[in-house]
Amino acid sequence: MTAPMTATRSHGREAAQALAAEMSKLASLPGTWLTLGGTLVVNLILAIAFTIAGLQGSTGTRSAVDIGLASIGYAQAGFVVLGVLTACSEHVGGQIRTTLTAMPRRALQFTAKHLALAMVVFPAAAITAASGVVLTAGVLGDTAAPVTSGRVAGALGGVTAYLALTSLISAAVGALVRRTLAAVVVLLGYFFIAGPLLRDHTAVAKYLPDGAGFAMWFPAADDASAVTPAQGALLLTAWTVALIVFVLIGYRRWDM
Amino acid sequence: MRALAAEASKLASLPAVWIAMAAGVLVPSVIAAITASSTRSTVTRGAATVAGADAGYQELAFGVVGAIILGVVAISSEYFTESAESGGGRQITTSLTAVPSRLRFLLAKISAVAIACAVLAIIASGTTMGVVHVVLGEHAPAMGVDDVPRLGGVVCYWVYTALLAFGITVLTRHAVIPLAVLIANTSVVTVTYLLTKITPLANYLPDMAGVRMFVRRLPDDTVEISPLTGGLVMTAWVAVLLVIAAVAFTRRDA
Repeated sequence: MTAPMTATRSHGREAAQALAAEMSKLASLPGTWLTLGGTLVVNLILAIAFTIAGLQGSTGTRSAVDIGLASIGYAQAGFVVLGVLTACSEHVGGQIRTTLTAMPRRALQFTAKHLALAMVVFPAAAITAASGVVLTAGVLGDTAAPVTSGRVAGALGGVTAYLALTSLISAAVGALVRRTLAAVVVLLGYFFIAGPLLRDHTAVAKYLPDGAGFAMWFPAADDASAVTPAQGALLLTAWTVALIVFVLIGYRRWDM
Repeated sequence: MRALAAEASKLASLPAVWIAMAAGVLVPSVIAAITASSTRSTVTRGAATVAGADAGYQELAFGVVGAIILGVVAISSEYFTESAESGGGRQITTSLTAVPSRLRFLLAKISAVAIACAVLAIIASGTTMGVVHVVLGEHAPAMGVDDVPRLGGVVCYWVYTALLAFGITVLTRHAVIPLAVLIANTSVVTVTYLLTKITPLANYLPDMAGVRMFVRRLPDDTVEISPLTGGLVMTAWVAVLLVIAAVAFTRRDA
């Protein structure tokens, strides 16, 4: 009688397979593409609306970058939803038990899921942000205020990183809450209601994830105490990593 | 009547409805506490003499997020598919077996949502106004007879918003999209407000018209709409949307 073949994988191969599995799940979720496509379309419609407002002179600026990115504040809702869907689709119908049977190392699986999400949202965020700016620049044409290419690249990079990190934060919160509806309500309530109001009334709010993230791309007030884009990026990354680690610690211990 | 009782019982047993209730009461009162305390410090520094007439009412316009959640989950919970392990069923099939007339089912549900939301709005306005008066003390704007129709306007606005959310969710049969769109539009600077910058017609969108029932001064107001007209415009929107929802709901497979 021969002993059963125990195929041992190297850690690198295990990680690569986990990433491929998570990528395949994310890509085969119709919600992923519907959310990203819907966000792109809504963002373009809003960008057109802002551009028309800009042509009428009610935005106070003629910069194609500022007007083209103004719609991102609303389009981020799509990236929040995508992050939540990625995490919570596992908990609809018990797919999580299959996932964890196939990938028993939870830390590896959790990391692979967030990595796969990052690989999808970074290009998507870049396309969303750039399309809005290109559209605005095209419509404004010669009437646009001149901007340096460094400013354009900085703003686009900031927006892309902001949207991707927001999506990762949303996925972590989704994994914590495990219910799509509750996670969407909590996150959108924070990003659209609590966050903006706190920014208006308290000074520490600029260090919170949304305040720090806005500093990465939003033209900040000329204020010595304002968060610079680099500091904002660092703060938001720190928030994201801290949140993912915090949820991961819980995720390894919970029953599923 | 029994259909209404059944719908009320379903609403009361949904945890998400209680979350909506908590959000509806806490969001406006906490925001009111923050803004009122900053107003108070301005007043005591002598920068302003009295708080604006919209103290409390502005905050109640944000608290409508509770009404949105209530309207959305009331119907999206019917379409929520159970996991395959527990049969993969949906509550809507049971509901329509118990109440086969689709119109009666929908009317009962609409009534239950409207009643629950009216109760929520009354509690939330009471709490928010209480917070404003406690924090501002003697600087608070005096409550008089003309606040009665304004508070009635708040209740109206909340109920209508819940019904709008409800009507959209009947059509989408999924909670995430209406929640995302409607909550994003409750933001400090709403999409509909930005649209008014482009065309004055946007002032007649449901939320822009509806808030005029109780908010007296909107920033950069270009069009004068009386509270009554605002209310009627919003009523028309809600009526049209609910009729579309009812037609779709009675004619398609559940």
